[in-house]
Amino acid sequence: MIDNATQIEEKLFEYVRKSTHADVNKINRETLLFREGIFDSMGFVLLIDYLEENFGIKASDTDLIEENFESVKAITHYVQQKKAAKAA
Amino acid sequence: MNSEKKPFTKSILQLENVEAKSIHIAEKLRNDVFNRLNRMGGVIGISGGIDSAVTFALAVKAFGAEKVLGVMLPEKDSSGDSARFAQKLADKFGVKTITENITGALQGFGCYERRDEAVKRIFPEYDPSAYKMKIGVKSSGLYTNLPPLFSVIIVDSHGNEQSKRLPATEFRQIEAASNFKQRSRMAMLYYHAERLHYSVIGTPNKHEADQGFFVKYGDGGADVMPIGHLYKTQVYQLARHLGVPQEIIDRTPTTDTYSAEQTQEEFFYQIPFEQMDLLWYAHENGYTPEEVAPVMELTAEQVKSVFVNFERKYRTTEYLRMGPIRD
Repeated sequence: MIDNATQIEEKLFEYVRKSTHADVNKINRETLLFREGIFDSMGFVLLIDYLEENFGIKASDTDLIEENFESVKAITHYVQQKKAAKAA
Repeated sequence: MNSEKKPFTKSILQLENVEAKSIHIAEKLRNDVFNRLNRMGGVIGISGGIDSAVTFALAVKAFGAEKVLGVMLPEKDSSGDSARFAQKLADKFGVKTITENITGALQGFGCYERRDEAVKRIFPEYDPSAYKMKIGVKSSGLYTNLPPLFSVIIVDSHGNEQSKRLPATEFRQIEAASNFKQRSRMAMLYYHAERLHYSVIGTPNKHEADQGFFVKYGDGGADVMPIGHLYKTQVYQLARHLGVPQEIIDRTPTTDTYSAEQTQEEFFYQIPFEQMDLLWYAHENGYTPEEVAPVMELTAEQVKSVFVNFERKYRTTEYLRMGPIRD
């Protein structure tokens, strides 16, 4: 299981680049994934499925806010928080 | 703002001359069907909802009642109200109707079985004979840049609801299975249109067409869509003018697709149509969030988020409006 923030971020960044239909050269770790149209509705559903399957977390309805998912960096922070809460 | 643009107000969408508008649409529809499509009348699927009612009334105005056929297309999940309202509409305008129950066709396609199989993966206790079901989005979703996520809701015989977010696989299976309903209806409408040498008159309004709230080759399959350019507010104005029965006007728009009752707002739009109309008009006509926000009693940031949602909906549903790519 990946715990390190850098590893999480790398894995997420790779996932985003592989999953989007947008130009991957325009995406960095701070790109606003939804505001800039990198991910659409189905992209969001698949992202949540991916996080739950690959990081062993469970996204609750209250987690589904923009601050948690707006960029690779934000998602990394969210995943770390969820993993820390689960371990506590 | 350019000099021709009217100040943004809550009444900006009201049709100033409803009679003239209804005559214009009817004349255009008559010309489209008789002269461009070379057909002799129109077939319309009537659901008892406001859009099909207004389309129906406009078709009667365009062709005369004797050249319109109303087809009611119930299936086992349909509300009984739908048939009652649809018949009332047809009686009001003196139009002949046919009822085609499509339950058997849907069973043949495995519509219910495929849908229920996906629901059971989320709720193992789900038994379609004991529960009703629907899918929907959360209503606060438009004021964020995040797209909405769908949930499946099951309702027991006491009205107790359970809801769970849908993973992609189950969401797509439920949606794909449910779309057999609209596509079977389309097939039946074309059967009647072809045997009569009529056109299929589609009922989507502007929101449905632009935001992709229709099934490709389902309710999106038609020869002409006479209200496809009208906002819902305007559809209601026409309904009152054309004499659509008041019960249909007063009825909350529903999808009538799932066994549990579900409004269109709950399923797709996320905000009431009066707000949706004004915000969509503002977005389409280049009004800024700062101009729109005070009128709508929202913050500029909320309006911006709604606009982002509109752009996403338009972009992600573009393929629904496309014909086959041939080159």
